[in-house]
Amino acid sequence: MIRTPLRPLARILEAREKGENPDAIERENLRLRHEEMRDRARHRAEGRLLVLGVMFVCAFSVVGARMGVLAASDPVEPRAQATGSSIIASRADITDRHGRILATNMTTHSLYAHPQQMIEPIRTAKALAEIFPDLDEERLIEDFTGKRKFLWVKRKLSPEQRQAVHDIGEPGLLFGPREMRLYPNGALAAHVLGGASFGREGVHSAEVIGTAGIEKYLDAELRDPAREGAPLALSIDLTVQAAAERVLDAGMKLMNAKGAASVLMDVKTGEVISIVSLPDFDPNDRPRPPTEGEPGDSPLFNRAVQGVYELGSVYKIFTAAQAVDLGLVSSDTVIDTKPPMVVNGHRIGEFRNKNYGALSVSDIIVKSSNRGTGKLALSIGKARQKQFLADLGMFEPTPLEIVEARGGAPLFPKQWSDIHAVTISYGHGLSTSPLHLAAGYTAIANGGRMLQPTLLRQDGPVEGARVMSEQAAKAARSMLRKVVTEGTASFARVPGYKVGGKTGTADKPRPRGGGYYDDKVIATFASMFPADDPKYVLVVTLDEPVETSGSKPRRTAGWTAVPVAHEMIARIAPLLGLTPEYPPMSLERLIEVSR
Amino acid sequence: MSYLEYNVKTVPAGWRKVLYLNWPLVVLLTAVACVGFLMLYSVAGGSMSPWAEPQMKRFALGLVLMFIVAMVPIWFWRNMALLAYLAAFGLLILVEFVGSVGMGAQRWIDLGFMRLQPSEVMKITLVMLLAAYYDWLPLKKTSRPVWVFIPIAIILAPTALVITQPDLGTAILLLTAGALMMFVAGVHWGYFATVAAAAAGGIWAVFQSRGTDWQLLKDYQFRRIDTFLDPSTDPLGAGYHITQAKIAMGSGGWTGRGFMQGTQSRLNFLPEKHTDFVFNTLAEEFGFIGGISLLTLYVLVLAFCVVAALQNRDRFSSLLILGVGLTFFLFFAVNMSMVMGLAPVVGVPLPLVSYGGSAMLVLMVAFGLVQSAHIHRPR
Repeated sequence: MIRTPLRPLARILEAREKGENPDAIERENLRLRHEEMRDRARHRAEGRLLVLGVMFVCAFSVVGARMGVLAASDPVEPRAQATGSSIIASRADITDRHGRILATNMTTHSLYAHPQQMIEPIRTAKALAEIFPDLDEERLIEDFTGKRKFLWVKRKLSPEQRQAVHDIGEPGLLFGPREMRLYPNGALAAHVLGGASFGREGVHSAEVIGTAGIEKYLDAELRDPAREGAPLALSIDLTVQAAAERVLDAGMKLMNAKGAASVLMDVKTGEVISIVSLPDFDPNDRPRPPTEGEPGDSPLFNRAVQGVYELGSVYKIFTAAQAVDLGLVSSDTVIDTKPPMVVNGHRIGEFRNKNYGALSVSDIIVKSSNRGTGKLALSIGKARQKQFLADLGMFEPTPLEIVEARGGAPLFPKQWSDIHAVTISYGHGLSTSPLHLAAGYTAIANGGRMLQPTLLRQDGPVEGARVMSEQAAKAARSMLRKVVTEGTASFARVPGYKVGGKTGTADKPRPRGGGYYDDKVIATFASMFPADDPKYVLVVTLDEPVETSGSKPRRTAGWTAVPVAHEMIARIAPLLGLTPEYPPMSLERLIEVSR
Repeated sequence: MSYLEYNVKTVPAGWRKVLYLNWPLVVLLTAVACVGFLMLYSVAGGSMSPWAEPQMKRFALGLVLMFIVAMVPIWFWRNMALLAYLAAFGLLILVEFVGSVGMGAQRWIDLGFMRLQPSEVMKITLVMLLAAYYDWLPLKKTSRPVWVFIPIAIILAPTALVITQPDLGTAILLLTAGALMMFVAGVHWGYFATVAAAAAGGIWAVFQSRGTDWQLLKDYQFRRIDTFLDPSTDPLGAGYHITQAKIAMGSGGWTGRGFMQGTQSRLNFLPEKHTDFVFNTLAEEFGFIGGISLLTLYVLVLAFCVVAALQNRDRFSSLLILGVGLTFFLFFAVNMSMVMGLAPVVGVPLPLVSYGGSAMLVLMVAFGLVQSAHIHRPR
């Protein structure tokens, strides 16, 4: 940079010669330099301002353009279930086989509080305690006047309660929407549905999760957003279920039983049309599991699925059917049932120590002979008997779609000796649930194919694995029919409907291995109807029934379970679309009527 | 040229000063404030209370303050700059200990008749001190490192205090206004480029570290940043303000729903409708036309400031005028981007329109300084 010297010697000398003041030149130079510096600064400042100006313009344009874009946009309401809300509150409905609602959702409100925003916390606490008597006033006052910023007051409010809370007029009380699981039929099919409660909870929504029954077993499926609310159709028929529950309840009371169970299965598909366990509960208000007493007596206990009992003589038909299937005997083969019969040092007795003498296989079932069935079992052999029962699913928990099914594991001896083969042939020493029994009877009813019981509606007949021949199944069916027409189940003669079935009365074992009770039985009637071409299998089990209309108390299934099953078939067969058939009138009767 | 170098006799004196005020600026400010009154009247459901009337009273007080400040010669204010800055800084420290807590932050000192927000005062004293500093500093030293770090310290000290309150919006305003002041004062652009590159690199490193072993922030902090940057992921929580604000803008359309017809604001969907989000009420009721008109008013205010700064040959005065104009610009630029979803919601009011005491009075005093600089400029 070339600088002009402040005191340029040449010009100063020149000025001196002319007699001028040289300081003026110096001042002039200083002024010029200042101006130059100022101009440079100004230039730079203006450059900076220009940059700034461009930034301003950009900012204004962006803001203006954004304004235009927003003005042109359509206002869109935000959706509560946008990606941000992680709790998915929708849960699919559950319906019966005809689409009638068994479980649905209802929108209610939860109540929460922001104590910091409360105007009159004490009055609010008092008013709340008045509306909800279960809330503790002292506790509320403590919570509302303390340091807490948030607290739940009530999980579910009825509309009336909500209005009452609203009328308090306290801005610190707030409502959040809640999807609530509702079972509009109350206790109907309680053990199937189970129940639901809240999982993760937020202010705006809460998870509804299944806690028991099919709600828990299929929880993930019911909550799957991909279902888009498509209802889950069960195999249960609501009207049949309702009728079965009413009849079984009345029967249980009439027979003074402490519990009862029934299972109705479709023999072509394995669908469970109705399944009842009494006593029951209301899934809308599921009771807590009992902490004392026998868990098997709790209303939550599903006797039809979880309860494993020695069901007694109802098992005899499996032994007879297998013996026929293996070609060892036919229905008419005569077997000697005279005492004594001793197996592995145990005497095998009959009901009331009867002696039936020589009986045909068919009559062994009709008269329910223990010794006769035991002899059949011995000729079948342990291994084949065990395999056959395994094929019928008697050693595994049933695959029913409720969580409780896993708990219904059958009890059977580890070592399968001859005595076990004999006792199990007439239903002792093997404990299964009534549902196991119903599934086994289904194989006889449908001509020899084993079906898995299911609670989900099936679209058509299901092809099960063959466990016995058509002929064996048919022979077994005619034996079962004879039990009703000639044998122990004479009370099962339902007008218009041919029923076949087998009774079973088993003494209840004492707890902790003390043998059997004399006066406590499990009475079971396993049946199928219509007998000549069975469509349904019905198992009715009563726990500790006593029929007291006679001179002595009667406990056998023929007096207890069979009449209940009779009433149930009479009520539900029309509901299932079965038309009654009556035998043609006799000639005399016809003449009498026409006269 | 410094004020000592020009002839003070050319400066108007006494009541003649009133004639030399920058009157167009006064008119513009009054017009902006009137838009504010109108909106506050509307959001209260057609009522002067609770917002419009106090706001008018405050604006009147602000006008008076502006005139008083304008009458005092600018060199007095220049000499007061350091003192004012230190006083404001003291108040900021004080508020840390005795401040009242409101909206989750400790920002106010209760003076009895009003609640003073020291961070607002700091905005204007910071501009004053920086202007005075660069007026005092010889031009050739402007870009020397030592003389660059002094103003950086001046800016960062109050910013740090404001962040701890926490008041992110004001902190950003202080930082940006200070940096822009240094920029117009002529600090070498290399400093700005370095800082910008370092900041960009830091942010890049933080985001790159996500999900790796050397993650610089915790997961929840990242999630917060996500919601902060894109509030639409949480429309009922953090994104609620902005979602409702956008609905208001959209429902206004081009010409708006008409005065007092805005449903979003009047039915209380729009939060903070009388303070930070007042612009959405305007956009809903007067549409795009109304919004652009307000924007134009702001542009004019800024333009008058820039012209006044260019006219003024006194370095302190022109830097001060630019600084006040910049602060004003930052206020409404940040506010508008925020309410239109261009920037995260950080809580910056719309100048002279939003309901609020400290901000309005401080701005009016700032414009008083601008007027003083204009009246007492060298001629």
